Amino acid sequence: MAELKTLNHHYKDMWVFPDADDLAGLPAKATSIGINKLLLWLTLILTAIGVVGFVMRASADGLNDYEPWGYYMAAFSFVFMVTAPAPLVSVAFRLIRSHWRRPLTRIAEIFALVGIVNFVLYIPLMLMIPEIANPNGAGHHSLDIRRTLWIQVPWGAPHFWETMAMLSLPVMSCLILLLSATPDMSASIQFVSGIKKKFYMLVAGYWKGSKRQWLVMQAAIGALGGLYFLTLPFVQFLISTDFGMSLIAGWKDSIFPAIYTLMGFQTSLAAILIVLYIFRRWGGFENFIGASQFWSASKILLGLSLLWIYHMFAFFITFWYGRMEVEQNILNYLYVDSWFWIFIINALGSWLIPFLILVWNPVRRADWGAPLAAVFVLIGALMFNIRIFVGAFNAGREQIYDISITFVPDAVGPDIWDLCMVIGIIGLACLVYLIGLRIFPVMNIWEIKEGAMYQKMGRLFRGNYLVLAKPE
Amino acid sequence: MQEGRVLPPEQINKDLLNSIMSTPKWYWPAVGICSLIVLIAATIVGYMINKGLGITGLNRPVMWGFFITNFVFWIGISHAGVMLSAILRLAKAEWRRPASRAAEVLTIFSLMTAMTMPIIHTGRPWRSLYWFFPYDFARGIFPNIRSPLVWDPSAILTYLTSSVLFVFIALIPDFAILRDNTTGLRKKIYTALSMGWQGNARQWKLQIVAGILLSALILPVFVSVHSIVSWDFGMAVSVKAWHSTVFAPYFVVGAVHSGVSAVIFVLILLRQAYGWQDYIRREHVEALCRLLIVVSTGWFYYFCMEIIFGIYGREADEVAIRTLQFTLYPWNWIMIIFIVTTYFLPILLWSRKVWRRNLLIVSIACISVNIGMWLERYILFVPGQINKQLFTFTWANYTPTIFEGIIVLGTFALVTLLLLLFSKVMPLIPLYDIKEGDILKTEVQIGRRTVPATFRED
Repeated sequence: MAELKTLNHHYKDMWVFPDADDLAGLPAKATSIGINKLLLWLTLILTAIGVVGFVMRASADGLNDYEPWGYYMAAFSFVFMVTAPAPLVSVAFRLIRSHWRRPLTRIAEIFALVGIVNFVLYIPLMLMIPEIANPNGAGHHSLDIRRTLWIQVPWGAPHFWETMAMLSLPVMSCLILLLSATPDMSASIQFVSGIKKKFYMLVAGYWKGSKRQWLVMQAAIGALGGLYFLTLPFVQFLISTDFGMSLIAGWKDSIFPAIYTLMGFQTSLAAILIVLYIFRRWGGFENFIGASQFWSASKILLGLSLLWIYHMFAFFITFWYGRMEVEQNILNYLYVDSWFWIFIINALGSWLIPFLILVWNPVRRADWGAPLAAVFVLIGALMFNIRIFVGAFNAGREQIYDISITFVPDAVGPDIWDLCMVIGIIGLACLVYLIGLRIFPVMNIWEIKEGAMYQKMGRLFRGNYLVLAKPE
Repeated sequence: MQEGRVLPPEQINKDLLNSIMSTPKWYWPAVGICSLIVLIAATIVGYMINKGLGITGLNRPVMWGFFITNFVFWIGISHAGVMLSAILRLAKAEWRRPASRAAEVLTIFSLMTAMTMPIIHTGRPWRSLYWFFPYDFARGIFPNIRSPLVWDPSAILTYLTSSVLFVFIALIPDFAILRDNTTGLRKKIYTALSMGWQGNARQWKLQIVAGILLSALILPVFVSVHSIVSWDFGMAVSVKAWHSTVFAPYFVVGAVHSGVSAVIFVLILLRQAYGWQDYIRREHVEALCRLLIVVSTGWFYYFCMEIIFGIYGREADEVAIRTLQFTLYPWNWIMIIFIVTTYFLPILLWSRKVWRRNLLIVSIACISVNIGMWLERYILFVPGQINKQLFTFTWANYTPTIFEGIIVLGTFALVTLLLLLFSKVMPLIPLYDIKEGDILKTEVQIGRRTVPATFRED
């Protein structure tokens, strides 16, 4: 790493300045990271436990009744929430030309592979969605068609359309990953061997690095990113509504999909920051990952945490002030009575603890501050998904066609198979991500090289400052 | 980025103080026309107070019409200031510099104008005092602090106070320049306002810290103001289509959308009127338009949520209102014009870089947004009230009268007039901010290309 002459107005390690040797060695380094075998085995065992849990649950309860699958849904939603927006985080920072994004874009894009897991996990859930039409017809306190997004019950609703929407995400995000990694795989072919080399040859063998190829690649990533940006909130909207809101009679809440989407970005950024910290601290990439990544991302994480409580309060105050029976029942069920403690942990993790950590400048400047907050964000998000989806799945199978919920159901704790499935699903997501890290170059080599050209130290009056070039 | 020349400080002083030091030919006629419109509107307000609200189209049950629509519209415009000044300052966006003062000032004047609307709307403005002060201790009548009528003024006054403070802090170095460049009474006034500013290191440090602190502190106020205004509606269970949980962020993002659009339009006018081409450059307009693409798309997302969950419940009353809004004349036309002018037309006009740099096209887009956002409030508030209720005596339509139209027009003239008067006494582009931006500009040589760059502290 090039020595800084003076630090003056900059905190140590805020910006790193990789020298020519560092950059020349990056392709070899980024394609040969040693993932701890123990970690791989651990995630594999967790996945196996999850499979056992799934089989036991399916053999005991079948797939027709959704009620026993609340924790499965919560775990699926948690993984989906964390991983699906990650590629978009990369695209968004690239679009707004943030210089500090460069070391984290590939880490974010590799989450696209977990999208395949999301789709596989979604298939059983699709089978469980209850009929939209009331088999008993409309009654005094029930509707002929339950409250759902699919108001006119179009052909294929909801199964076909939701499946298509769910499938589109991993397709697009994996394309983004492949496109973005092509120049790096091309530059790394000589450093890999075996199947990996064949894969690199297949995907990136054509890459010559001509101006046209660069322009096409960047335009394609931009277009796919734009499409992904439009599709992701829609899919999040479908998941949050069809598997959450519509299963509690009378729950009509226009801010809930927005909260779900917001938490998606919050948790994705959190997961990326944790991985980034691991790479900086233990991965040997401290010459490429500075504190500026954490400093800049932590402000966004802080903002998202504040937005979480703002949206949550907007929901709460509207329901609370309205004093309608159905809204009071929902509040009591999901917030202040049945799921109270889970809500408290959720609020602590998604808002209060990250806020208290990240509000301090020195903590945000430190590389550990944002990842620490990120851990709590993920815990909070898991509690959110348990509260909402286990709550929705257990609000009473018989009431979903009713006009409104007239009672406050009890919270439902997990049994052993639920726990197995939760840890199994999280383990599977980690396993696939670890495999992704072994396949693709873990650092975005071309972006880091580009960034190294755009930054230098410059003298202004009596001090040395960072100079950042903005070519666009 | 960075297309402008780096000008010497003396030139910057001369250029940016020309609105104060000299008077262009168009200035007094513009002030005269605006004053005339304000005077006519004020006369009509007086007439309305004398005759009562019967001269307006308001009735039972349509008790909130043009005035409240206009109130929410101006509150929305006021959100430009914090967005452009505080948030972009914290984000260290270089292109914020020429826009920040105009945005902050527009915030203050639009807030002041907004506050007049509910007071006019009461019909008996002096009775507004009853909202705040207990007037009958013996019978135990106190202001109901759970009423939006208490929240609104509290939030707006807090926002106004903090915005004035924010502008004042930023103006101090510029006041000092004015003090040094004026004589007589004006010098005395600027001397008092500049509070002994000498431009030493300690004063600069305090000024910068105060600016950053105020930027951070004003953010919650910024969010709370329009959220509280939205809850005036969202808390009302009795009016269908109003009781929606998404109203708060929907209103706030919409406010930023309309406010920033208004600021861009004001900036373009200033550029043309005062010849500030070196300061308000096409790159700034383009960057603001790019910001608006994101903001407007966020707004459109919330709008979709609001509409979808309006019909999601399939409640007869709610569906009836949506039917009214989307299918029945004239509401369907208002809805179409609103959606097109607020989102689709501006997005189209901002979609190409060439268009984002064309000031005429950008002006059309920004005016379009504000026409749409005004209509948005109108179509959001009124149909819920004209929907047929249980009893026939609560059915009525709403047709605004010419008096309401003139009063609304008067508010636009009032804000323009206040901006014109402000430009005569204080600089509408912060001088020190522009100079600081010039100092931080530099270049980096990459291969054969010279790339614009900036010095950064972090």
